[in-house]
Amino acid sequence: MSSALSRNKLYLLLLFTCSLGWIWIYYNFAYNIGNYSTDINTCIIKQATGVPCPSCGTTRSIVSFLSGSIKDGLYSNPLGLIVLIIIMVSPVWVVFDFLFKKKSLYIFYGKVEMFFRIKLVAIIAIILVIANWIWNIQKGL
Amino acid sequence: MEAQKVDLFIMTNGKFFESHHLQAIRDRLLEMDDSKWGMVQTLQFKDPTICLIISLLGGSLGIDRFFIGDTGLGIGKLLTCGGFGIWAIIDWFLIMGAAREKNMEKLRQII
Repeated sequence: MSSALSRNKLYLLLLFTCSLGWIWIYYNFAYNIGNYSTDINTCIIKQATGVPCPSCGTTRSIVSFLSGSIKDGLYSNPLGLIVLIIIMVSPVWVVFDFLFKKKSLYIFYGKVEMFFRIKLVAIIAIILVIANWIWNIQKGL
Repeated sequence: MEAQKVDLFIMTNGKFFESHHLQAIRDRLLEMDDSKWGMVQTLQFKDPTICLIISLLGGSLGIDRFFIGDTGLGIGKLLTCGGFGIWAIIDWFLIMGAAREKNMEKLRQII
């Protein structure tokens, strides 16, 4: 295993981040249905420079997905789809692993890490993220 | 291995490790075979100071975590805008220690 993270540490971190994420999404969903207001801005880059970062708009994207408009969601930020899948699947997976005393998610995490260390994959991923960033700036999120 | 060589290694590479690691590294190197000296000498370590600079500049994109080899955490940081900005700030303080731990892990694979 390449990662220094232990299984339990990774799972706790995942559960903690996912619950934070769900609270944040619930807050945005409940208060901003229809007209999203950008009163609270969590992105350091955007606050410091005024330019959105590659993952700005993820909250809006997830809120759009959850309210059923897939097109809006993809337009806000395609990364929202990945984040939504992660925060939906990982808590279930963690609970499954805890119940059956397995470490399948931990092994999967290691495999994903190794996958992104392949040079070609890394280069493509970086290009995609930068392209998304340019798109974000163009959209003026 | 000769004490002189070991002390040379500790002096040149001490900044890459936590202080509590150094004694263990020294003991381990002293009882190690001389043939491994070349391998130990040519290992490349991540400089904690560089990690801190990267963390300050590109922390909210997760570049610091990618740099020290925590690809998974890097992706997590990238996707969440540096963990809502909080994780990015926490990492300004953690990244040097994390880099030193990574270096120790790398050295441990050889010695």
